[in-house]
Amino acid sequence: MLDLARANSIWPMTFGLACCAIEMMSTAMSRFDLDRFGAGVFRATPRQADLMIVTGTVTRKMAPVLTRLYEQMPSPKWVIAMGNCAISGGPFVFEGQYNVIEGVDLLVPVDVYVPGCPPRPEGLLEGFLKLEEKITGKRRFPGPDSRW
Amino acid sequence: MVEKIKAELGAALGGVEIRETEYRERGYHLSCEASPGELLKAARFFDECGFYLAAIVCVDYREYLELVYIFANHSALCKTKVTLKLDPAKPAAPTLSAIFDCAYWHEREIREFYGVLFDGHPNLTYLFLHEGIDAYPLRKEQVLLADEDKKALGAFRPEEGEDTFFVNLGPQHPSTHGVLRVVLKMDGEYIQSAEPVLGYLHRMHEKMAENRSYLQFLPNPSRMDYLGAMSFNLGHVTAVERLCGIAVPDRANCVRVIATELNRISSHLLWLGAYLADLGALTPFLFVFDDREQINDVLEAVTGSRLTYCYFRFGGLYNDVDEAFIAGTKAFIERMRGRFGLYEKLVGGNVIFINRTRGIGVIEKERARKYAVSGPVLRGAGIAMDMRKAEPCAAYSEMDFDIPVGTRGDALDMYRVRVREMGTALDIIEQALARLPDGPVMAEKVPKKLKPPKGDLYHTVETPRGELGIYIVSDESDRPYRMKWRVPSFSNLMIFPELARGNLLADAVAILGSLDLVIPEIDR
Ligand code: SF4
Repeated sequence: MLDLARANSIWPMTFGLACCAIEMMSTAMSRFDLDRFGAGVFRATPRQADLMIVTGTVTRKMAPVLTRLYEQMPSPKWVIAMGNCAISGGPFVFEGQYNVIEGVDLLVPVDVYVPGCPPRPEGLLEGFLKLEEKITGKRRFPGPDSRW
Repeated sequence: MVEKIKAELGAALGGVEIRETEYRERGYHLSCEASPGELLKAARFFDECGFYLAAIVCVDYREYLELVYIFANHSALCKTKVTLKLDPAKPAAPTLSAIFDCAYWHEREIREFYGVLFDGHPNLTYLFLHEGIDAYPLRKEQVLLADEDKKALGAFRPEEGEDTFFVNLGPQHPSTHGVLRVVLKMDGEYIQSAEPVLGYLHRMHEKMAENRSYLQFLPNPSRMDYLGAMSFNLGHVTAVERLCGIAVPDRANCVRVIATELNRISSHLLWLGAYLADLGALTPFLFVFDDREQINDVLEAVTGSRLTYCYFRFGGLYNDVDEAFIAGTKAFIERMRGRFGLYEKLVGGNVIFINRTRGIGVIEKERARKYAVSGPVLRGAGIAMDMRKAEPCAAYSEMDFDIPVGTRGDALDMYRVRVREMGTALDIIEQALARLPDGPVMAEKVPKKLKPPKGDLYHTVETPRGELGIYIVSDESDRPYRMKWRVPSFSNLMIFPELARGNLLADAVAILGSLDLVIPEIDR
């Protein structure tokens, strides 16, 4: 019961880092309307948020800030890694690189990965559905056909 | 103009050889090599003539380091490159920050990435890099940090005075549009000084450019400035085409203009929404995203992406536009024209908005020049300078449009300039659609491996945020020897500490928003 309530009112924290943040905004805005899933209440403080969507590249300078914010969130808390940068460093991994964290899962536990550069808003929505599934154990809609 | 400057500069420096260069190939008209003393003389000379310092670039040639200063003018097209050779073992140069304010930050950047010491610089602390760094990243050979530099890395420790305290704006703050951190020294509600701290999104684009071929670097520029991705893409491909001497078919040039202008509108729209959200009005955000989605639909159909476009290729386009694109663009123009009235009612004529933005963050012409700001910020200050007119690339030279300028240079003017610019962008798109010629969209025989001839190039384009300058040094291999991005937001941010001083905290947020910053572009 509690899980159901949680899953239907995920409050994400605005954690826009780079390009992907714009797609996160698109998701929340007019056309894609994240509010349909009760997740449109973006909070600017970690203390009121359940979910951190890491949208963009995490640099070494940013890393301590990110972990601090994560620790400030009250439990239960979840993390979505949005975009290739947050998943693995994305296009900015090369030999001799000196400034990018190759995946935010090195810093905080990640629940859902949404790949893309940037992922489409539909992708992020699917990420939200996956997270709901993880919380409640049930899927809200039948998922896309996974024959391939 | 060029002749005159050549003669006068020659007289001012006395005995230094000033060469005229082929502007079409190099992007600058004059070049000369100076000693430290002569550099200062040259800078003073250009300052008196009303030039601005467009960029400072450092290039590591292994035997020596070279500092490249590009001076340019707002009223006439005349660019000069002044170079200064440094000893790589102990690089030191005089600072220009007393003459041109913008040098203050450029020099700090060079210090971090190359280890050049600037004599007389007031504050050579680190701007971008994290504390764990142990070498100068952009040097060709590994050079470890000197001990005093290690100290400088963590040197930024704000000191509280008796009646002052510090407020940290960012690095993760909704109104900084990304991850900019500004340390504000407050006296009550008033700001005593503001100190931006950068580098929270430094993604090593310039280092990557040296590590991969021109073609492999294609996706990167659009990740630098994701809102004006098309303009950055355009800048990159036109710069490389200019370096290699590739001619682009007319149709491709026309489509480039259309796509870039569509992207400019979507960038300005997002700025509008985000700026008003900063000021506390959340409704326009929903409206602008509605319009943006229309643009995204049109562009996505031909480019394949919604945000980080990589549509232009060396020699042309990724694919041709079709009837649906043209019809969609026309429909969008129609729709957008009708929306301006709505925005005017909702925002432009709104008393709260006017009272919050009028008279704050005033930029005078002289100050705009010293800080080398560009784009709508410069035009808001009343200087009609647009790279689309001054140095047209693609098919911009055939377009007829005027440059909207402001009168007072305050935040309200920046708003008006941007909104009117959306209108001119629509005009440009209409003209380009009307004269869209048939034909191929890709030049023939563009080699897979581009190997531009030896030499350098300073190429500029107008992005939604201002003058983007790309300085490329080619050594005839298939990867650039050095590629420096002179990004507009970087210069526009520099002026912020001056504008914020003495203002209320809430006004500082309004000023910061009016500059329209994209942080990954500043940090690169
Ligand atoms: S994944 Fe791509 S779009 Fe997202 S932040 Fe990284 S580079 Fe930008």
